[in-house]
Amino acid sequence: MSGPDNPALTPPDVAQLVAASLQQSDMALVLLDRAGLVLTASVGAEKLFGCSSPELLGTELALLFTEPDELRKAAKADSGHAASGVQLEVRNDYGEVLPVDVKASFFEAPKPAESDYCLLLIRDTRTRQHEDELRAARLAKLSLLNQVSEALYGAQLNLDQILQAVLVCMTAGQGLRFNRAFLLLVDPKTESLQGEMAIGPSNADEASRIWRDLAHQPSDLFEMVTSYDQTIKQTDVAVNEIVRHMSIPMNDEENILIRTMSEGHVRGVGRETDQPGVETLRHWLGCHEFAIAPMCTRRGPVGVIVADNAISGTTITDLDLEFLQMFANQSAGAIENSRLYTELEQRLSDLRTAHKKQREDQETLLKMERLSVMGETSAIVAHELRNPLVAIGGFARSLTRGIEAGDPNRVAATIIVEEVSRMERIIHDLLDFIRPPKLLRQALVVDEIVGQAAEKYRPRAEEAEIELVLDLQAGDLVVEMHPGEIQQVLQNFLINAIQALEGPGRIEVRSRGVEGGIWVAVADNGPGFDPESVEKLHTPFFSTKPTGSGLGLTICAQIIKAHGGVIEAENLSGGGAEFSFILPLPKPEA
Amino acid sequence: MSKVLIVDDEPHLRLLYETELRRAGYETMTAGNAQQGLEFVETMNPDLVILDIRMAGMDGIEALQRILERDNSIPVVLNTAFSSYRDNFLTWAADAYVTKSADVTELLDTVHGLLKPEMATGQ
Repeated sequence: MSGPDNPALTPPDVAQLVAASLQQSDMALVLLDRAGLVLTASVGAEKLFGCSSPELLGTELALLFTEPDELRKAAKADSGHAASGVQLEVRNDYGEVLPVDVKASFFEAPKPAESDYCLLLIRDTRTRQHEDELRAARLAKLSLLNQVSEALYGAQLNLDQILQAVLVCMTAGQGLRFNRAFLLLVDPKTESLQGEMAIGPSNADEASRIWRDLAHQPSDLFEMVTSYDQTIKQTDVAVNEIVRHMSIPMNDEENILIRTMSEGHVRGVGRETDQPGVETLRHWLGCHEFAIAPMCTRRGPVGVIVADNAISGTTITDLDLEFLQMFANQSAGAIENSRLYTELEQRLSDLRTAHKKQREDQETLLKMERLSVMGETSAIVAHELRNPLVAIGGFARSLTRGIEAGDPNRVAATIIVEEVSRMERIIHDLLDFIRPPKLLRQALVVDEIVGQAAEKYRPRAEEAEIELVLDLQAGDLVVEMHPGEIQQVLQNFLINAIQALEGPGRIEVRSRGVEGGIWVAVADNGPGFDPESVEKLHTPFFSTKPTGSGLGLTICAQIIKAHGGVIEAENLSGGGAEFSFILPLPKPEA
Repeated sequence: MSKVLIVDDEPHLRLLYETELRRAGYETMTAGNAQQGLEFVETMNPDLVILDIRMAGMDGIEALQRILERDNSIPVVLNTAFSSYRDNFLTWAADAYVTKSADVTELLDTVHGLLKPEMATGQ
């Protein structure tokens, strides 16, 4: 409870209070009268001048400066204005000359009779320089962190590149300036902390060479990260050898690396540190002092960075540790990001593949369904047509026998016979197509079968003045096949080619051993086919020939497919068409 | 003279085969369905049967089995528009399988071949 009697609340003598706190200040403060004589000096001033307060009182302060007039000038500036800092030198009691920064503030005397006061704030600029340096260092590191974050997040880096970038930042002169850095990541599969990658020279010679090289490096960290590959990677063999040995099970909770990771705080390990795992680490690293920084994200620990100055022996400062921690956090984020991104990309690509496959399956299904409906319908139609055709054709034949040669009726009857037999051929093709090819396969030398099929057509080709060239180079490669069916395919190709040429020309039958199979082709130098019809070539009833039933190629495709091969039709760049297929070689017995 | 029984539900085909076989020197008789065909096999002792497969009522495959059950010495030629029946093992019991064609040469050759031991007479 407070009350008017409480002595603590009695208003103090303000002037005395100010004077007392001025005296106790760590800063060097000196109150001068108009004559420049010391009225009060602070503890800080005692330290700066190297003498006690009573010794200072009443002395002219200017005499303690190397250039007294300069101080007198500063202390006599216009009253009412705070003078800006003046750079002077002080000779203290120990005989040292200190560079100082002097700031003067003036107070007008409350009564005209009394003199004005001048308060001097004197700062040892060496201390200030140190503070400035510290501030500049922090600023530099902060701007570095910003650069690092740009380097890590800005470029579309994959996980490996990010790990490299982290290590480059750890050791670069423009970065955290550690000699060596080792990166260990949590491996969920083996439930261990696993050495992943490292950077740094293996000895002093190498170090000086690298540092010399690095002097010519781009000053931009981003550029440096991206150009890392070509410059220093080859020197990291030794450290990577070390890092590969690093493996600590996650359940070894006492181990310093695991502990640091679970505690989430950076740790400097000095000569005197003695904790489980430290000795092993010293053995691995070959040095006594190092720093460990945990890399954690909200999803949990990612890994640790171990860094040392094994080559230069430079002490790892608190500032180094502070920034190492910030840097490690940032790296953890980048690594996690990259992993998530990769995961996402993988899933996306899986989805795309699945979608594509589904669409293809759907198309195939539709095609098959169409073919199947068509096939059934065709079968019924074909059979229903066959009976009347047999009657028509059969009687037309018997008619031709009864009509004298030269009688126009005989010509008519003959036309009926021929047209009916053409229709019967169409039906035969159709039913062949509907009946799935049945295979009794034998292992046969492809070139022999192809050669036989082609030779059958030599007379027909010669008759049409077509040069039939056999260029068979599959050697004695053997394929499991139904020879009759493969020859049927070749016959189809050859008839197509002869018909496409419509007269003199050239047909080449080629065979080659290709990867996993044998390629056989029949090429002509005719007009080629309309590119639009390529897609339709496999559709039943489609024909490029005015007289064809359009079933030939469909049957060929079915036969080749049943042999596990592929069929192809294309126009050649130099003119003409090429029909080809590839038959797979038998799989070697396991 | 060998007697050939033609069993087919297509009257024009029966007529065509009849004409051609007679021209080739065979005696012929025809049946428009399998049932009637079986009766003729029973009563008329044909030397060979040409049997269609797809017919209304009893089909040729069943008729073939009945014929063979009764007398498996009679040669039977299955004659059908369906070349794919050749893959059906039930048709394998027949002595021959000829796909229908306006050109009856194959059918005639087959009949010749099967009746050769007795030799067709006449001409």
